[in-house]
Amino acid sequence: MITKIVINNVERAFEIEPDEVLLDVLRREGYLEVKGSCHTGDCGACTILLDGRPVASCLTLAAKADGHAVTTVRGIGDQAHPSVLQEAFVKNGAVQCGYCIPGAIASAKALLDENLNPTEEDIRLAMDSNYCRCTGYEQQVEAVLDAAEKLREAAKDEETKK
Amino acid sequence: MGRVTEYYHAQSLEDAFAKARELGPAAAYLGGGIELVLRRNAEITTLIDLSQCGLNYIRSDPSGVEIGSQTTLAKLSRSADVQRFAGGSLAYWAGHIAHNNVRDMITVGGVIGRNQPWNDVVPHLIALGARVQLFGETEQSMLLADYIEAKRSGMIIKSVLLPQENAGGTGFLWRFTRTEQDISTLHFSALVATDAGIVTSASLVFAGRPGHAALYPQLSAEIVGKALSHDSFSKLAELAPSVVEVGSDLRATEEYRRELVHAAIVYWEEHMTGVAQ
Repeated sequence: MITKIVINNVERAFEIEPDEVLLDVLRREGYLEVKGSCHTGDCGACTILLDGRPVASCLTLAAKADGHAVTTVRGIGDQAHPSVLQEAFVKNGAVQCGYCIPGAIASAKALLDENLNPTEEDIRLAMDSNYCRCTGYEQQVEAVLDAAEKLREAAKDEETKK
Repeated sequence: MGRVTEYYHAQSLEDAFAKARELGPAAAYLGGGIELVLRRNAEITTLIDLSQCGLNYIRSDPSGVEIGSQTTLAKLSRSADVQRFAGGSLAYWAGHIAHNNVRDMITVGGVIGRNQPWNDVVPHLIALGARVQLFGETEQSMLLADYIEAKRSGMIIKSVLLPQENAGGTGFLWRFTRTEQDISTLHFSALVATDAGIVTSASLVFAGRPGHAALYPQLSAEIVGKALSHDSFSKLAELAPSVVEVGSDLRATEEYRRELVHAAIVYWEEHMTGVAQ
């Protein structure tokens, strides 16, 4: 079957099997920034944004994404144009081996898109699927708090300009 | 799934029902789809997607809060209507059960349709007195507790109604798990209404026993008409372990689960009276 998905703002069409999961389709089509690990929805490595909400792509049927928008970590920002959130992860030492980071960034992005004043508890809850085997959890929380502060300042500056 | 050969985007409930009737047990309605991915059923060859059937909604009217079956746990947790219902217990737990990246996938209809023994949403909905609205050749409405006992095969779970008469009660959920995100070794849900410190109605549900969710009217009768006091709760805590049917599995022994039943009532007392025992 043919499925059309807008991936990182670009519409793509793929031939998929009716029972294929999104993780497998994305990686097959070259979106290697989406990482697979447990394949049972437990580790959070494969988290992507589906219409702006975090989902485990290893458990999402690709056919369910038909007509919807997918954002991977590269859609949030890349090396040439990193997002505030990605810069905060680097600055706060939240990236160690890096394998969990694409999923962690996706979860954190979904949180900050709806709440620019998150508490530590909000952050831990919003990222409770994202396991980091390097155990860099504290730095990740600090990074999200840091990014939230910068995004609030930027929003205030925008408001002032108006 | 064994070999799924067709993914069918139903355009309406009538369309979905006709497709399911045509294919019989080879077809499955799709909620979030997680269970279908994790626990493949070789019999199923067609998945019927209900996402275009207008079942993703939460609305409130004088009869209560109606939740469309395609509504996700994340949406439930953010709903002001659900947050106001019975002290917000359902909204709180919908935002804390499982992981953040599946709470936007798990649907209310999916958890009811699958009703796995470890599920924490179904027992709480039963305690809240939820009714399930079904779509088939005719539309039906029945208590979720009755639906769980006798599923209507082939019918579409259209929505769940939280009845307005239970909105002012106090919902309570306690799940004993090894880690916060683990499945429950024992689940206890309750809805209680009080008047001037006297319990006027109570609905007590245990799940993860390791069997499915079950109501315990005998325990409800024990607390109704009694004062919200340590004496009332301690009598209930003494009785409950011998009434609740529990069993052994790899996670816990029957004896251990009986201790958990006692602990659940103690936690409930603390929640209701604010006094830790």
